[in-house]
Amino acid sequence: MTTLHDFAVWLAHSPLNAAVTGPSWLVPEIQVVHIVAIAAVVIASTLINLRALGLAETDLPQQTVVRTWARVIVIAVAVLAATGILLVVSEPGRALFRTVFWVKLGLIATALAVTAAQGRTGPVPTAASRALAIASLLLWVGVIFAGRWIAYAEGWPGAFS
Amino acid sequence: MSLEDIANSLATTWLAETLTDSTWLFGVVEAVHVMALTLVFGSIALVDLRLIGLAQRHRDADTLVRQLLPLTWGGFALAAISGTTMIFANPHGYFDNTFFRAKMVALVLAGLNVLLFHYVVQPRAHAADAPKSSNTLGQRLSGGISLLLWLTIITCGRWIGFTI
Repeated sequence: MTTLHDFAVWLAHSPLNAAVTGPSWLVPEIQVVHIVAIAAVVIASTLINLRALGLAETDLPQQTVVRTWARVIVIAVAVLAATGILLVVSEPGRALFRTVFWVKLGLIATALAVTAAQGRTGPVPTAASRALAIASLLLWVGVIFAGRWIAYAEGWPGAFS
Repeated sequence: MSLEDIANSLATTWLAETLTDSTWLFGVVEAVHVMALTLVFGSIALVDLRLIGLAQRHRDADTLVRQLLPLTWGGFALAAISGTTMIFANPHGYFDNTFFRAKMVALVLAGLNVLLFHYVVQPRAHAADAPKSSNTLGQRLSGGISLLLWLTIITCGRWIGFTI
């Protein structure tokens, strides 16, 4: 735990922390960009998943829908990673010391693995692609809940603000 | 009945007491609100980008709207219910908050923009008989104004959390 604590203290004294926490409006605006990128992931994965379940975009082949929206997910996740790192740096004693933050990262990795698996599906949804779609929907809902829960969870020893 | 009276009566309801007594319930409602708003914003932004001509240009705007409308309305209903619930936790705080007020004004303007799009812009675009892939000036303006209003709504919403 001391290694994590040392790392967080180092981040707290880094020039990037000073830059991000300098203007008081910057962190809320980074959060707005983070939310807009979440919206991109949500709409993209929802369309892929509803296509697999036969509930939307049924006029297009499944692969076309996956190919179009997986690209959006990749770009949005890159934006989320960049803004997420800035948010962690702005308050290094917070997210890193909460179990739910690491659960969130695990859920994101799993959701992206599911998206990658969806990329290998055929033109017509099968039972497997329907199962992947339901898993993906639940995983992204989990990611959003876990993200919001960082603000409510109890921190580990060594957490600071 | 003033806004103050409404806030007073909301603050003494069962829902208000339940929300303020619980340490986690407000968080759950917030998480639902985030999920709902990403669904609303994601689907609306996609249509807006199509109208501006920046996405999905190979598809007819009407088809896209028809595909996405259930998501937009489903998300909006969920956002409205969760958002209204959040007000009960601190009605005076919200009603007195400048960002909350600005957000409500932007929501009304976004609603008017939708009505204008539906009853004026789209009928004119159809009457103009232009190729479906091109956008009329009205459509591009509709999309641009909608995008700006919804970004304002999200920004104000996020700022409420810092100023309430």
